[in-house]
Amino acid sequence: MSTPDSSRDPAAEHGPRTRPGGLPETPAAATSHAADEAHSGPGEATPHSDGHGGTGVYIAVFIALCALTTMSFFTYSPLWPWRDEPQVGWAFMMAVSCTKAMLVVLFFMHVLWEANWKYVLTIPAAMMAIFMTLMLVPDIGFRSRMVSQERLLYMARPSDEALLRQAGTAAEAKADGEEAH
Amino acid sequence: MSTSAIAAGSEFADGGHHDHGHHDHGDHGDGHHGHLKLQYQPGLPLSRGKLIMWLFLSTEIMFFAALLGSYVVLRFGALQWPKPHHVHLSEPIGAFNTFVLICSSVTVVLALEAAKANKASLAKTWMMLTLALGSLFLGVKGYEYQAKFSHGIYPVKPMGLVHEKPDLYYGSAVRARLSDPMILEKIAELDGMSETDLNAEEIAGRKSLAEVKRLVNDPAQEAFDLAVVADQIMPLPAEAGSHGGSHGLNDTFAWLRLPVVIPGGNMWASTYFLLTGFHAVHVAVGLLVFAILLTYQLGPATAGMIENAGLYWHFVDLVWIFLFPLLYLF
Repeated sequence: MSTPDSSRDPAAEHGPRTRPGGLPETPAAATSHAADEAHSGPGEATPHSDGHGGTGVYIAVFIALCALTTMSFFTYSPLWPWRDEPQVGWAFMMAVSCTKAMLVVLFFMHVLWEANWKYVLTIPAAMMAIFMTLMLVPDIGFRSRMVSQERLLYMARPSDEALLRQAGTAAEAKADGEEAH
Repeated sequence: MSTSAIAAGSEFADGGHHDHGHHDHGDHGDGHHGHLKLQYQPGLPLSRGKLIMWLFLSTEIMFFAALLGSYVVLRFGALQWPKPHHVHLSEPIGAFNTFVLICSSVTVVLALEAAKANKASLAKTWMMLTLALGSLFLGVKGYEYQAKFSHGIYPVKPMGLVHEKPDLYYGSAVRARLSDPMILEKIAELDGMSETDLNAEEIAGRKSLAEVKRLVNDPAQEAFDLAVVADQIMPLPAEAGSHGGSHGLNDTFAWLRLPVVIPGGNMWASTYFLLTGFHAVHVAVGLLVFAILLTYQLGPATAGMIENAGLYWHFVDLVWIFLFPLLYLF
């Protein structure tokens, strides 16, 4: 950027404001420039006097994030009651992840305190993201619904895992038998 | 940008809600009168650097959404997908890395707060801590990658040892490896050693290697025999957390590097390395930005730069927030 970054002007958060412009510096512009610099210079060091953020808020968000991570990790522990129904755990973990993402975006990325431009940038991108994923479903998501016998022959299937398990159990039984002798 | 463009553009964007000297725009004298006052309005109420960063981040949202979306679609569309412990993923390590990244997000925010409060040295401390945490994340990631590589799981074919199922192709791959002259030499050396020179594990391993050789060369071999071979070489851990206990021939004799069977393992490796690789590249770029920022005096004048770098870093953290459960816990 060719111009000094005066983004710390507190008015920036609330609406349009004056700022130094580009090349031809008219006397009037120069005045405005000087005024702006005086405004955002080191003299005015008070951070965010407009009442958002603050270390306390960030620490609270940090603790919440840690607690939420522990919660999703909890699904992995033997105490999780729905170990036989993985879908419950998946839904739970996605809910936890979305909550964490919201906390990071709203507080750490300051989106909570931004003007309405935030919707212009984030909502279309989020919609595109969802569409993109949905567009993949017919071709890739359903790829194993209609599959030729020949391809099925070379694809990994749950029966392969079952076969390996059987072999493992047989090997263990054999090893135990040998130890007993 | 010319000044007139800014003035005209802002008038348009503003819709006349704010009084910013409209009477001046009507004056076409352009400096003829001394009282002409041009006022400059950005189209959006944020600095250009931040605007560009947010535009970049919105493209990044779509970039990672496409990656994560294809992962989810590939995973749930597959007939068979390996469990995290089948592919030697350690959930506690993943959780630790999540914690590290969350901490680094907090330190960036605190660095920004300190810079805005004109506490340059405090800001530098927080920034250095961020750099250290980011490096720790990459270090742990590297350690995890090493664990995959040591089990023959690579994203590409020439190095990868993973076979999808214990079929004839697998059997012939094991046979080919066992007839490699270097391996033959090593096996002959192993067979020549007396039992007193070997530990219990190696003695058992020698026995199981002989069995594997017999089974892969048996003309009457059945699918189950090849499953036994695969199990001897690298057993699939039965339960999460038990991967330390399961020991196969590849673990006993590291030089052996026999082909292994992980049903669904190749697609898993492709998606895992692509997702975590792109994420790690983003982390590395972030670390580079922080290293450059550390050369500045981190006062209010650089707060804008810190904020933009921070926005990027939080986004990288955000991606990991989704990657961790999807890869490690699903």
